[in-house]
Parts: sequence; structure tokens; C-alpha cells
Amino acid sequence: MTDIQIERADGRASALAAGSARRLLAGIRFVAPVFGMLLVWELVVRAGLVDGRVLPPPSLIAARGFEMVFDTEHAVLLQHIGHSLYRAVAAFAIAVVVALPLGFWLGLNRTAYNWISPILSVLLPLPAVAWTPIFLVTLGHGDATIISVCFLGAVFPVLYSTIQGVRAIPPHTIWVVRSMGAPRHAIFTKVLVPASLPTVMTGFKLGLAHSWRTLVAAEMLAALSYGLGYMIFAARQYMDTQTMFVGIVLLAMLGFIFEHFLFGTVERATIRRWYAHHRKGG
Amino acid sequence: MSAEPAFKPRLAAIPDPGEPKIVAEGINKTFINRENGEEVVAIENLDLTIRDQEFVAIIGPSGCGKSTFLYMLAGFEDISAGTLSMDGHPVTGPGPDRGIVFQEFILFPWRTVLRNITLGLEMQKVPRAEAEAAARKWIGLTGLTGFEDAYPATLSGGMKQRVAIARALAYNPEVVLLDEPFGALDVQTKFYMIRDLQTLWQEAHKTIVMVTHSVSEAVIMADRVVVFSARPARIIYDERIDIARPRDALDPKVIDRQREVTEVLSAEVDKQMRREAGRNPLGN
Repeated sequence: MTDIQIERADGRASALAAGSARRLLAGIRFVAPVFGMLLVWELVVRAGLVDGRVLPPPSLIAARGFEMVFDTEHAVLLQHIGHSLYRAVAAFAIAVVVALPLGFWLGLNRTAYNWISPILSVLLPLPAVAWTPIFLVTLGHGDATIISVCFLGAVFPVLYSTIQGVRAIPPHTIWVVRSMGAPRHAIFTKVLVPASLPTVMTGFKLGLAHSWRTLVAAEMLAALSYGLGYMIFAARQYMDTQTMFVGIVLLAMLGFIFEHFLFGTVERATIRRWYAHHRKGG
Repeated sequence: MSAEPAFKPRLAAIPDPGEPKIVAEGINKTFINRENGEEVVAIENLDLTIRDQEFVAIIGPSGCGKSTFLYMLAGFEDISAGTLSMDGHPVTGPGPDRGIVFQEFILFPWRTVLRNITLGLEMQKVPRAEAEAAARKWIGLTGLTGFEDAYPATLSGGMKQRVAIARALAYNPEVVLLDEPFGALDVQTKFYMIRDLQTLWQEAHKTIVMVTHSVSEAVIMADRVVVFSARPARIIYDERIDIARPRDALDPKVIDRQREVTEVLSAEVDKQMRREAGRNPLGN
């Protein structure tokens, strides 16, 4: 209520200022509990309430992380991150290339949909990691297996969302453009794509998140040298819990960055601009 | 909100009907009810001639097939038997010679008001500047001035429907099909829309076919009112409304015609209700 009153009273410039102040406040509200958790964690371990060898304090985890970047020969931590990012993003990209056209086709073709959708509903809930041994015996250890498993993790959410996005477009929407004499490709680019975008974006988010989750397990089982999953798993041999936690924290941070910055930017440029004004209408 | 045109014709006479534009002969529409597999006859042996630049309102009980008929004119619904032609050519599919406006607006939320209205012209490869000039003319006539750069999500229902109407007119179709255009609006908004847009329809010089539930809408807006019977649809009333424009809902002549059409329509609705009650084991 108050922001609206401020906006009306002081005009556009202060409305912008109020907007950035609001964003700052939202940022603080988000960061504060996370810092609080880290502080409690640190104190609990320092006070000796928890065994520091099992749960190292955040300060030591951070120190270990820096050490792995700056005091190793090839900045080994960055190598792990680089390999993991490459695999997750490659798997996601292949999933998009496969699922997007397939999703549009299934969304538009009723017969194909009736045949394929039961198969999809069986495969969708299946955890992709379950396929890892199959790929291990056919493709062996390494990137091919890991990317294949992550692909299976990413492809179904993207496919499912694309189909839903296309099917949810009201037929009258297509009638309106066909009445304008729109050629097929224009119906596709000017209507089907933008109309399904909100749902497709949700599919992308889910797809990358699934790819990222699947990656850790796949790397534990199939990686030979690098990757965050591999790093966490390899550290168990030395009881090196600090390194394990460096991996866990990085997985959380990178996942967060994907979700909020990568897709957030695209959403602000498109969907939120189109749909975010509902309150103004009478 | 005001859609003040450059000039306002006072008490404009109803134009004489022109050449036949749309000719429907012996139209039949049957479809299979998905639930029980029974064949349903929606429209039976329907003849209707709509003349060039005539504004025809089609009214009838719900589910009578009037929207189906409109979708046939638009080219989206197949005809089971009979012929439907426009300018002597059979209607085989949708085309830019017919524009359509739906009850539920169907705007493109990713396009601004201006871009929604220019879309039809873009599809016809009209240069951008020319398309915008044409769009701005209809923006003025529909009372949307000042909202050119707004996204549809920011508009009220009435404003959204103005955009849909401007969009259908902007690419200059010969026929405009209105499918319950004010059905989703509240009574107040509907009243202003019908009043504001009266001159628009005259200045558009289009053949207009409107399907509606509302007798007052039909009588105030149209040159001619056609009443469809309950399913299977036949024409049970077809009269010209020779009342000069702009028409006032309180004009006794308007009220008289409304009463006349309402009587025909209510008799038909009663008949339909009795028939349904007879079929329904719960209704006595």
C-alpha cells in the first residue's frame, strides 16, 4: 500500500528510487537468514556441540575452497566446477534441442500426442540416475555417460512443459491469426512461440535444475577425474569433509545462480513485462 | 474513453441493402455427440442472404448453433450439406477478407495495443509506417488513444474488446464477424461500448454479422435482426430495423422492436425448455 502512495505522490523518479530501495530490502531479507544460519552453524561447531570433523565450520569450508583455487597447481576447484558446468549445460542444451521441436509437434498433433503421452507419463517420474549403470556398460566411464544421464534428467521436464504450453493455447488465438491470412510459419513464430513461452520457460528451469541434480550422482558413479560430484565422492577416501562441503556449497550456489539470474533475466525481459500489470486494470 | 469521431452524423438513415454478399443455401450441420455417439443436427436447411455493408444480428437460444454458423462464415467450421458463398465464391477456409472478434477478446499479451492492431497488416507485409498509420486511425475511432504502448494485461475488459475490434478492422476485411462481442463485459461497460461504437460501425462500411444473446444489443446495433430457433437451427424471424441512428435504448420505437423480438425468442426458449424437461427424467 505505502509504495503505491509514494509512487503517486512523488512521480516517476522517486518511484524508481522506491523500486530500487524495495529491491535492496528484499535482498537483505533474503541474505539475512542465510547469514544467520551460517553464524549459528559456526558457533555450534566452535562450541564443540558438533564434531568438527563431521561438520566443519563455514569458515574452514571457505578457507578450504580458497586454498583449492589459489594454492593448487591448476586451480583444481575451478577445474571441477568447469567440468561440472560443461556437462550439465551440454546435457541441458541437447535436451532443449531435442525436446523443443518434439514438444511443439506433440502439442500440435493430437494423434501423435495420444500415442506418445502414455509413454511419457511412465518415463517422467523415473529418476534419470537409474540409467547410469546401463550407460556405464555401453559407454564406459566419462563424459559420454554423465551427459547422457543428465540429458535424460533434463529432457522430460522440458518436453512435458513445451507440450503443455502449446496445448494450453486457446484455439481461438490461432483462429484470430488465421483470419488475418497468416502463413504457417508466421503462426508459429508470432503466436505459438510467444504464447507458450511462459510454460516453456518453466520447463527450461526445471530441465536445468534436473540436469544439475542428476549430474552429482552421475559424476559420483561415472567420472574419472573431475567434476564436483566426483570431488565430493573422492574426498570420502581421506575423510576430507571440508572438501565435501566445498562441493556441496558450490552445488547449491551454482544451482541458485541458474535459477535466479540466468532465467530471471529472461523472464524480466519477457513474461513479467507482459503479464505483471494485472492490478491496474479495472 | 471518448471515441469522438471527426463528425457525428445525426439521425443517419439506414442504408439501402446492397448486393448479396454472403449467401447460405440449404445449410446443414450434423455432428456426433462424443458422450453417447448420437448424431446431433445442429443446423437444418438454413437459407440466409446477407447483403453488402449490412449489419445483421443473429440471436437465438443458447446452443442453437448460431455461433457454429458464424464459424462457418469465418471458414473454421465445416458444412455438412448445402452451400455457403461470399461474393459468389464458396467459403472453403479462413481468409483476410473476414475479420473476427470473440467474446473473450483473444489479445496477444506479448504485444502492445498498437502492435496487436498492426499484426494483421504485418501478416500482409504492409510496411511498418503504413501499418501504424492505419492502426492509429482505428485506435482513434475505438477510443484507445493514449493506450498505444500499453500491454493488454493493463487494460480493463471494455478496453481489451476495443483493441480486438480495432484489430479486426485494421487489416480492412470486407466482412467483420462478431461472436458475442460484449458477452464478457459488465452491464455498465457494455452500455458505453454499444453507445460509443455506434458511429464506428457506420463509418467502417463493412458487412457485419454479430451473434448475440442480447435482444437490446441486436436492436440498437443492427440493420437487420435474425432469430434462430432452438436446435436444429432454422430462421424464425428476420426483420429490418428501420430506426435512424444514433439509436437510444429508451426510444419507444427501439423498445417496441425489442419487445417484438423478445416475444419470438422467449416462445422459442420456452419450447426448448419444455422439450428438455420432457427428456430429462428429473425435470417434470
